Amino acid sequence: MSLNCSDLCPLWPCEDKKEYKGVWVVGEVSEKGLHEASLQMLTPALKVSKKLRSEVVGVLIGYNVKKYADEFIKHGASKVIVVDDKALSTYYPMLYGDVIVELAKRFKPELILIAATMRGREMAPYIANTLKTGITADCTDFDVDEKTGDVLQIRPPFGAMLLAHIKTPSRRPQVSTARPNVFPVPPRDDSRSGEIIEVKVNVRKPRMKLISVKKIKKEEVPIEKAEVIVSGGKGIGSKEGFKVLEELANLLGGVVAGSRKAVDAGWIPRERQVGQTGKSVKPILYIAVGISGAAQHMFGVREAGVIVAINKDENAPIFRQADYGIVSDYREVLPKLIEYINSLKKEPRLLKELIE
Amino acid sequence: MVRVVVGIKWVPNTQAVRFDPKTGTLMREGVPSIINPPDLSAVEFALKIKERYGGEAIAITMAPPSAVKGLEHVLGMGVDRAVLISDRAFAGADTLATSYVLAEAIKKISRDVGKVDLAVFGQETIDSSTAHIPAQTASWLRWPYVYYVTDLEIKDDKVVVSRVLEDRVEKYELELPSVISVFMESIEARDVRLLHKLRAKIEKPIVVWSNKELKLDPRCIGLKGSPTMVSKITWTLEVPRKKIVYKPKDPEDAARWLISMLLKDEKTSKIFKWVVGG
Ligand SMILES: Cc1cc2nc3c(=O)[nH]c(=O)nc-3n(C[C@H](O)[C@H](O)[C@H](O)COP(=O)(O)OP(=O)(O)OC[C@H]3O[C@@H](n4cnc5c(N)ncnc54)[C@H](O)[C@@H]3O)c2cc1C
Ligand SMILES: Nc1ncnc2c1ncn2[C@@H]1O[C@H](COP(=O)(O)O)[C@@H](O)[C@H]1O
Repeated sequence: MSLNCSDLCPLWPCEDKKEYKGVWVVGEVSEKGLHEASLQMLTPALKVSKKLRSEVVGVLIGYNVKKYADEFIKHGASKVIVVDDKALSTYYPMLYGDVIVELAKRFKPELILIAATMRGREMAPYIANTLKTGITADCTDFDVDEKTGDVLQIRPPFGAMLLAHIKTPSRRPQVSTARPNVFPVPPRDDSRSGEIIEVKVNVRKPRMKLISVKKIKKEEVPIEKAEVIVSGGKGIGSKEGFKVLEELANLLGGVVAGSRKAVDAGWIPRERQVGQTGKSVKPILYIAVGISGAAQHMFGVREAGVIVAINKDENAPIFRQADYGIVSDYREVLPKLIEYINSLKKEPRLLKELIE
Repeated sequence: MVRVVVGIKWVPNTQAVRFDPKTGTLMREGVPSIINPPDLSAVEFALKIKERYGGEAIAITMAPPSAVKGLEHVLGMGVDRAVLISDRAFAGADTLATSYVLAEAIKKISRDVGKVDLAVFGQETIDSSTAHIPAQTASWLRWPYVYYVTDLEIKDDKVVVSRVLEDRVEKYELELPSVISVFMESIEARDVRLLHKLRAKIEKPIVVWSNKELKLDPRCIGLKGSPTMVSKITWTLEVPRKKIVYKPKDPEDAARWLISMLLKDEKTSKIFKWVVGG
């Protein structure tokens, strides 16, 4: 397809997309090191690069970050571009964003992947926009249109069980984000080696200044780390209703989470929301109580081992997406369940009978 | 004196959208639109700034004409004036093309009304939740920006903001003018007051701008100005599940059934033996 520059918005650079090669994963670094969510982005990067027959490149910017380049390589990147500069010792969205923009103009990648952590969500749209290209948020899968080489950025749109395949046919690079935990970290291979390219970039003066940082201590286990999750929805009916869920969670060594409606109602904090716009979780056991099973919710539990649904409506869609479903009012079932587990604890003999 | 522009989006009320279990789609017919709830926090934020430092708050939205209702609501909350940016030429815009129009509208407000010091947005929208617009608008304007703001103070030509991340609270100082997005639920929006409503009725402070006023290149707006496009829609691949549904005789029966299933399931049996100390 020939390029007709006069059709394009004159504010956009007009370039042949064939000049662009390589799949980038932008690394997020904090004092704890390279963010796991960034390594997870290597999974879709490897999938796409294989289909495009191009390579996966990690990008690290900051101060004293070169030491993390190896992490990228051991998990699958072929190359890492590093900008290690004292002027980048503090993260500012525009400052870091402008550095990535600089790099993208110089090296011309075809796809840039950024983990949708809170910082990633802040910086990615700035990068895409400054490059005058498109961006697709919260992708759940990627594919490639073999004919055009366009990356299909797949995400659930405003529409239940459907997936939109979004492409950026006329612009490069293509930019996408995905939520943490949607993809696994590719296995580590210590025998892998790769090239580290150190680059100097003109760092602008940030027009903002970090004044202070205060860590928030979280006592509870974050839901994305829990092995058992008891999750409540609109059907719980009140904040008090969550107490029995909490009790069951404690008994099973798990934590409590909720649907967006439960969060919106203020029954449970937003950081405990499961789903497309909340968190993706991967517990061994997910017990969904009073949750109808909307696609946006179920999206967050794709990686769960076993899903149990307790809902009083036998037509609730969740029963078609769960392993074990109980059609009942949770107010009757949960107290009995708790009682029963407690009695099993006291009399393990009952347990044997059950298994038979 | 601070002039604050606040961006609001007119969205289908996703809570009222019903799910059709047969086709797996959402039934949007007759679903009323509302102001994107997080944007009400942004409006509240803008009003607090105006009350504290003097000046004015101006709401903008790029939307079909029916969004006038939303603008009337925020005028009722105390916003001084509102701009409805509405033109068929803007239709079909992705976030790049939307933010372009919003940024150009903010520039026009600066030219026609007076210099804008701060653009405030909601964290994200309930219908698409991309959280793109604030950063993209900042990119067009070349203003410094920061997301997830919970608190803000203006000092001379700078603004000091507190913002939250997953595990920390940060304080930044930004040069004005700048762009901020307000953390989801950090602030509760006030109700509409009769006084403001009456004033809005008399003063009619809503202006409508089409592309006649904004004069933007048609290649940069709407569908044409949008680099992304939906190429197709497919069904979600379902994760295979056992789908065993049980209608218990009584709660006791339910508890017994569930535990026995979970004990027999090799994935979950471990946790249960551990729980019961077996
Ligand atoms: C763009 C977008 C993103 C979204 N992101 C998310 C997300 O990340 N996470 C999320 O959860 N949602 C998300 N949603 C919302 C989602 O579409 C649903 O509206 C939401 O998940 C429904 O929550 P719910 O199941 O708790 O409530 P409902 O759908 O109202 O279901 C309540 C259920 O409780 C049952 N019930 C009632 N009383 C009882 C009782 N006593 N005992 C047992 N069962 C009972 C009812 O039968 C019903 O099935 C999103 C929506 C959109 C449009
Ligand atoms: N069409 C629009 N008109 C005005 N403001 C908007 C529009 N779309 C989004 N916004 C603002 O940008 C924020 C983030 O939206 P989004 O990037 O779509 O998730 C919203 O909370 C609004 O404050």
